[in-house]
Amino acid sequence: MASVKLTEVKKVYQGNVVAVHNFNLDIKDKEFIVFVGPSGCGKSTTLRMIAGLEEISEGTVEIDGEVVNDLQPKDRYVSMVFQNYALYPHLTVFENMAFPLRLDRNYRVFPLNEKEREAIQKKIDSGKLNEKQLEEAKEALEKGKRVRGFPQEEIYKRVTNAAEILGITPYLTRKPKALSGGQRQRVAIGRAMVKDCKVFLMDEPLSNLDAKLRNQMRAEIILLRKRIDTTFIYVTHDQTEAMTLGDRIVIMKDGFIMQVGSPTQVFDSPNNLFVAEFIGAPKMNIVSSQLVKEGNKYFVTPFGSKIEVDGDKGAKLLEKGIETRDILLGFRPEHAVLASKPGPNTIKVTLLVNEMMGSELHLHLLTDDNTQLIVRVPTIQLTDKEREEMVAGKELYITFEGKVMHFFDPETEISLLCEENSPSKQNIEALKEAAQVK
Amino acid sequence: MSEEKKNLNPQVASPVSSSDNIGKGKRHMGLKAKTIAGNTIIYVILVAMTVIWLFPFVCILFQSFEVDHTNMTGNILPVKWGFDNYIRLFTSTDFETGGFGRWYVNTLVISLATAVIQTIIVLCMSYTLSRLRFKGRKFLMNFMLVLGMFPGMLTMIILYRVLADLNLIKQNAIPGLILVYVASSGMGYYVSKGFFDTVPKSLDEAARVDGATRAQVLIKVILPLSKPIVIYTLLTAFMGPWGDFVFASYIAFSTSAGMNVAVGLQSLIATPSAMSANYTMFCAGGVLVAIPITVLFLFLQKYYVEGVTGGAVKG
Ligand SMILES: Nc1ncnc2c1ncn2[C@@H]1O[C@H](COP(=O)(O)OP(=O)(O)OP(=O)(O)O)[C@@H](O)[C@H]1O
Ligand SMILES: [Mg+2]
Repeated sequence: MASVKLTEVKKVYQGNVVAVHNFNLDIKDKEFIVFVGPSGCGKSTTLRMIAGLEEISEGTVEIDGEVVNDLQPKDRYVSMVFQNYALYPHLTVFENMAFPLRLDRNYRVFPLNEKEREAIQKKIDSGKLNEKQLEEAKEALEKGKRVRGFPQEEIYKRVTNAAEILGITPYLTRKPKALSGGQRQRVAIGRAMVKDCKVFLMDEPLSNLDAKLRNQMRAEIILLRKRIDTTFIYVTHDQTEAMTLGDRIVIMKDGFIMQVGSPTQVFDSPNNLFVAEFIGAPKMNIVSSQLVKEGNKYFVTPFGSKIEVDGDKGAKLLEKGIETRDILLGFRPEHAVLASKPGPNTIKVTLLVNEMMGSELHLHLLTDDNTQLIVRVPTIQLTDKEREEMVAGKELYITFEGKVMHFFDPETEISLLCEENSPSKQNIEALKEAAQVK
Repeated sequence: MSEEKKNLNPQVASPVSSSDNIGKGKRHMGLKAKTIAGNTIIYVILVAMTVIWLFPFVCILFQSFEVDHTNMTGNILPVKWGFDNYIRLFTSTDFETGGFGRWYVNTLVISLATAVIQTIIVLCMSYTLSRLRFKGRKFLMNFMLVLGMFPGMLTMIILYRVLADLNLIKQNAIPGLILVYVASSGMGYYVSKGFFDTVPKSLDEAARVDGATRAQVLIKVILPLSKPIVIYTLLTAFMGPWGDFVFASYIAFSTSAGMNVAVGLQSLIATPSAMSANYTMFCAGGVLVAIPITVLFLFLQKYYVEGVTGGAVKG
């Protein structure tokens, strides 16, 4: 249990490859943080710097208020689950899980068992102890024994307990190569679970599992988190995992943090185009449009329609004093609706592909000027007849709600509603610059 | 490896066994005959080679049991069988101090010490080069590789001078020889480093996060996974000094107490007259020298082969 603080952390690999830039993050005690981003964005690198497996080129990493830059991994008291499990092939499952406990050489106090209690009592009763020994013996009776490392029985207790929780008790005597992928994953989690750690790190622990098992393990990680109640840092490239697991999500791109926020924040108010497109599936529709200010009201005009911006968004735009301008307009597939007939706020589209997903339809649409859009329509909203008519080539009219749109600057790709001095805004600008240099 | 073999076997066997087509019956037979003919030739050659190769060993073995040692008979089989030569090796007062027993113990001490020390050095060196990244690592590796290409004999004279100054020659030759054998052992990192490279790095990382120091990673994770290479290293380190003649002979400098078996045995037959007197005893000594190595190989050859070939498969 500990807070983790990263200050201006930078990682430069050999050959001047900058994998992580200016990484600032304050992780609270017991928080579940998820690093998410496309492949190669520096998630693993950041995690490995926290674990001590990768040198920190610049900046500081603090765990529990202590700067750990120069500490060996073993002195940082972190647990880590690796993507490829990294189980020790020559050890049984039990020994794999006991491994970190056997290496621990710290002093701890453990309660005495009956036999030990009797033995000490006998010694005291014998009257042969000198004063100091007597005192020690009495203290041991009261508080328990102080020993270096974990006693056998404690190791046995912890390992069997973790195995019970993870449902791997039947496999404790097997070697890892005799386990399935899912079972290996559980052993890896078990090994990380048994030891006393300040921070629990996981690097894409589920990415080698099939879809069904992944869903199951995701639910189990949520339960696990309740049980071990410590600080978690979880790396994934899957936005669904990020949204379902994280208290806060850190979205990264090319070594820069794009946005940090709760799942709701990053979904409802993405700071920039990248986050908007990365979070949510299918991804957000982005079209060029104009934002028109008329009096105190704002309108957007995609494809010749005119849709009013209402709710909070309009008020926020007004507060920021934004004038009529070109924008990139974003709206999520689930926020668009089919209109029964053309009107001033509808867009005319042609159906390209109709994907039946079960509870909903994913409609791939083409506008008159050849822009592709995706719309999600709940199946129950359509009659059987309407569903049958949804075939390629059909002309449809769509519209979307004014309170759930997103406005981005076409140049900087930053949200118009993004706070002026938000750190992610600076990062986005830095990222742009870096891209230009290339 | 073994899986690959399993996969290959059916493929090799399939042209022979796929006789479901009746018309191909004749060709099928032909193929079988060809295989038999081919195998016969190969076996004849192999047997001939084996006989040639084994012949001297068999001769030595037989000669070592020859009781009538006064004249070299030219027979392969002994005229009179017996263990006299073996007994004489350990009891004879013809040659000075201790004799064969002393040489044998000398060699055993040298070989065991070298095997242990050299193995430790080689494994540490290999782990370092495989896992740690430091300035000059590449240079060091190449430098040692090039250095290793020079024959060790080049250093002989200077080594003798150094050891003489340290008074580690003649009767003190044993520590001197251990020093010589162990000194450059770090350069033999190549095979074991190749093997360590195949052990996934994430195991190191997992162990380090689990609380292991670098040394513990090596001892608790890498070495158990590299048993063949540890045994290979031990074996080669043991065998080098066991059969060494050149270094051993000039460092012992004809002092019987400092000799190893190879040098000692050679001293038995150094002159023509000694040769005819001691030849059968010499053969008995040779047999005794061969025993430990043969036993070691019989038990460890599985690992030895894995070790030699293991380093080649770089992951
Ligand atoms: N040892 C290394 N030497 C040089 N560059 C490296 C090294 N390791 C990683 N990189 C580079 O650093 C960047 C970030 O890598 P990192 O492994 O952190 O990505 P990631 O976000 O974990 O991606 P993935 O989802 O594929 O695991 C990549 O561009 C990668 O090429
Ligand atoms: Mg990664």
